[in-house]
Amino acid sequence: MKKFLVLSLIVCLVLSLVACSNDAVSDPTETTEVGSTESPRVAELNIMMSIPQYMDQWDTYVKQFEAKMLAEENIKVKVNLEMPSSDQYESVLQARLTGGDAPDLYTLHSNNIATYDKAGNLTDLSAEPLADKIYDNVRETVSIEGRLLGVPLESQAWGVLYNKEIFAAAGVEIPKTLDDLKNITEVLKEKGYTPFMLAYQEQWVPQLMTALTLGGKVSGEIPDWVDRMYADNGSYEEVIDIFGPIDLIMANGTDRAMEMGSESGAAEFAMGKAAMFVQGTWASGTIMTTNPDMKLGVFALPVNNNEACTLVNLSTSTTLAVHPDAKEMDLALKFANYVLDDQDSAGLFQACSFNPLATVHNYEPASWVADASAFVAEGKAYKDLVLPSAVTDEQGKLLQEYYVKTITKEDFVKRMDEVFKSSNK
Amino acid sequence: MKNFKANASLMLFVTPALIVYFIFKLMPAVSGLYYAMTDWNGINKTFVFVGLSNFIEVLKDSYFWDSVLFTFKYVIVMVFVTNVIALLLAVVIENLHRAKGLFRTLFYMPNMISMIIGGYMWMFIFTKVMYYLADNWGWTFLDKSWIGDPKYAFIAIIVVATWGAVGYLMIIYMAALQGVPAALKEAALLDGANPWQQFWHVIFPMIRHAVTICVFWTLNSGFQVFDVIYSLTGGGPGRATQSTAMNIFEEAFRGNVRYGYATAKSTVLFAIVLVITIIQIRAMQKKEQEA
Repeated sequence: MKKFLVLSLIVCLVLSLVACSNDAVSDPTETTEVGSTESPRVAELNIMMSIPQYMDQWDTYVKQFEAKMLAEENIKVKVNLEMPSSDQYESVLQARLTGGDAPDLYTLHSNNIATYDKAGNLTDLSAEPLADKIYDNVRETVSIEGRLLGVPLESQAWGVLYNKEIFAAAGVEIPKTLDDLKNITEVLKEKGYTPFMLAYQEQWVPQLMTALTLGGKVSGEIPDWVDRMYADNGSYEEVIDIFGPIDLIMANGTDRAMEMGSESGAAEFAMGKAAMFVQGTWASGTIMTTNPDMKLGVFALPVNNNEACTLVNLSTSTTLAVHPDAKEMDLALKFANYVLDDQDSAGLFQACSFNPLATVHNYEPASWVADASAFVAEGKAYKDLVLPSAVTDEQGKLLQEYYVKTITKEDFVKRMDEVFKSSNK
Repeated sequence: MKNFKANASLMLFVTPALIVYFIFKLMPAVSGLYYAMTDWNGINKTFVFVGLSNFIEVLKDSYFWDSVLFTFKYVIVMVFVTNVIALLLAVVIENLHRAKGLFRTLFYMPNMISMIIGGYMWMFIFTKVMYYLADNWGWTFLDKSWIGDPKYAFIAIIVVATWGAVGYLMIIYMAALQGVPAALKEAALLDGANPWQQFWHVIFPMIRHAVTICVFWTLNSGFQVFDVIYSLTGGGPGRATQSTAMNIFEEAFRGNVRYGYATAKSTVLFAIVLVITIIQIRAMQKKEQEA
């Protein structure tokens, strides 16, 4: 028995090496003769994913899985990996789900988990080994009432971007409270730096400030606020704190904010025009191409002086789900677990440049990802608030108006309450 | 019988165009009236008939009426500015002895690119070039918040829209100017009319029909203004430069995605434009006949 185990491990190792080197995998039938005497069970697994840009990486990973199954379980799995183009993905998936031809495993956006769960298309994975590996707050983004309904693949954490070199030169540390942020702003100004990059031409950019401050305030102090807003039983008056950082940022930012688009804002930030930029880590592409030597960092935007409110935003997009009607349920679950495998998962996530989201992901990510992930690992992250899109849009519009001073804080509160109420109708 | 036959063959010729017009223009317009009375969101298979409640809501929608007010302001300014400039250009270029074709082409060119692209080009000018001139050449009068200050944003929009529209109007005016009999001009000259008198009392009355067409066109396109504002200010800051068409667009495709309500709004816009253009055409035609 021991001999068999050692042998199969060797086979597995050799196979995974072969797979990694991108060569064609040797015919599995050969290895069965080496690995075991009884003939393997033949099975098929259908997987559909919405990320064709990572086709190569997943192809390799699937081959590794096939080899592992053959070696460890003596199952000859044939995995059919499909990746329709992402603009057609949802309609293809919908058609297959309703047509009774559901793939055994498929990806979906975590925003749709509730809908798919209601339709009975998701398997509860809470009892699987993978559940304990995912960081708690990431797990929350793909869970409903404690039931883990998918394996998160692409997860993003973001807060305020800052220039580490400027911070070091000015001798300041990242802030934990609003008072810290005020101090930093003063010190930076004294040293001749502009504290904040403002790029408000596109309404979604100022909106990021409300996203972060509301997220922090609500998650840290009034967790029932969103529910009450949906029940017409709350007000923006309760979260007026959000103007603490917003006023500070607007008063200490670059000029001509309304004439600055998001891309040129990112480029100017990369050139060192300002020390901080309220913008997600998705801007890192533009920033790093503009200035490849940029030392980019991320910190959580403080809302007030309560450290519990200083949180980064954490959201998950692509999630891998197991369909409850999967013919080979045990294999489907094995694959789901293999995605967060102790040995191989880190390589996969790194190859796809996904952010680390589980304990097994011990690779060295980019500096800004590492910063944001550190907040997540410490539990200092909030799950994206689910607000009506009319409300999010309005926040962006009103912040532009607030910046050009055509409305006051009171107007903001009043109008936001109205918009939320009319969205509830 | 003969009459009928002639009519029938005429009908036969226009039928294909009529069918296309009916299916793609008339049907959507009429069915839009019906959707304006539902709460359809554009995606759902089911919707509820809600009667006139959407129209009642439109009456109370202050954002909508703000945008209507803005559109009126835009249309009034545009009708004057574009027509005066277009006519001026047409007269000047008509009187050139050389390079007529060159200038005609130059001024017509903006018309040949989409205003969305034109808007983005001007966005670059307003947000980068202007500030470069202000900072490096000392042209401080350019150092204005061209997108952020509602007052200057309006000027910016007018500048870009005029840039895009004058070429087209200019061509119409030039064609009309060429139609003015040379004998009339010569007669006026012999009678001792100065150039201004020549233009105002002889040429202008002769090109009134072109003025009607151009004013009608600017009115009509002005009320539907969307692309320039969308690419230049996005209706911002906030809603300060939001035209009615943008307000309708946002209602239908952004936020709460209320298709039915947005259709109700566009029906109201249609009614407003209809009334105004009828008045305008009546008034101008009277003038034309008098002349």
